[in-house]
Amino acid sequence: MAFNYDKYLRLEKMPTLWCWGCGDGVILKAFVRAIEKIGISQDDVCVVSGIGCSGRFSSYVDFNTVHTTHGRTIAYATGIKLARPDKMVVCVAGDGDALAIGGNHTIHGCRRNIDLTMIIINNFIYGLTNSQTSPTTPKGMWTVSQKAGNIDPTFDTCKLAIAAGASFVARESMLDPKKLEKALIKAMQHKGFSMMEVLSNCHINLGRKNKMVSAMENLEWIDSITAPKKKFDAMTPEEQLNILPTGILKEDLEADEYCDMYAEIQKVHQGERKTITQDDFAKKI
Amino acid sequence: MGTFKTENPGNQPVWVNTSNCKACDICVSVCPTGVLGMKYESTSTLGAMISVNNPESCIGCVECELSCPDFAIYVADRQEYKAAGFSFAKITDEAKERQAAIVANNYMSLSEQGVK
Repeated sequence: MAFNYDKYLRLEKMPTLWCWGCGDGVILKAFVRAIEKIGISQDDVCVVSGIGCSGRFSSYVDFNTVHTTHGRTIAYATGIKLARPDKMVVCVAGDGDALAIGGNHTIHGCRRNIDLTMIIINNFIYGLTNSQTSPTTPKGMWTVSQKAGNIDPTFDTCKLAIAAGASFVARESMLDPKKLEKALIKAMQHKGFSMMEVLSNCHINLGRKNKMVSAMENLEWIDSITAPKKKFDAMTPEEQLNILPTGILKEDLEADEYCDMYAEIQKVHQGERKTITQDDFAKKI
Repeated sequence: MGTFKTENPGNQPVWVNTSNCKACDICVSVCPTGVLGMKYESTSTLGAMISVNNPESCIGCVECELSCPDFAIYVADRQEYKAAGFSFAKITDEAKERQAAIVANNYMSLSEQGVK
């Protein structure tokens, strides 16, 4: 018996609506396997997704799922987590969803360090709406909205999350599903905001005008722009320029988690403790 | 879903769900031993469909199952497959050469199914 995915899927929705060779399916698979390895009940997991190709994610998995408005995954997930801190809440968003439309929510989710897992599926383009420039589209690439070549500088999702205060930040690509699965397990088990950027392919909308017509050509390109963190650290600054490091980039086990702090507020109102003052925190500013 | 079952048919190291397969070629590209290949099929969206041509060469690395985005290909569990009286093959030079030939053949099967 091979691994049985059927238990975790809404089989009546299969086959998926994603294009052939889309990395979203590989990430969905890795996510399901990670949940199985963690051994958590399906009823204790909530998957929140936004709009975009990645928004379909919540439709295919048989957990508690919310398909929310564009860019507001973190906003909905924060509400769910604060109402039910005992449940595991996982957000799934695309690069446009999480960094452009919902960029504000993403940075403030990171800042609060609330116990969510955010999976950002980065395919470097607005895929669903037919290849407009997204915040992660590499410079010089053809897009529908910048036909002479993209001139917008790109976001580095992981650096953004580290700077905003997320306590777990990792990057993997869908080229290595085994490593992706391990990183997802770590991200979901981490207490605090876990940002998981997964590089994915969109050979249909990114590749067709950028000399990556098939899934394999697009995956080779992703392979050429990534390097494991150890290898990345050994590179010279010139070599690092166009390379994205993969692996766990930040893991802070000491940071205060938002739901725990919120429980203290509840205690104040119930008269169980005095008000929270600056003395309660090691880091005040 | 049709009549497909994820359960192992018992005697096969790798089996496919053709109603889910979209013929993206990813599984063919990651296989180290040339077990898989694409065959021409006029009724499929992209005109091709996955076929398992050399199951006797399968080494059970599960790469194809992990890389398949569409829940279309499955590999037997090593221990259960052994308990059923079968075993996975060892990687051979012949299998590696066949894989290289399949990739050079644009991921199409080397048998007559891969010829238009």
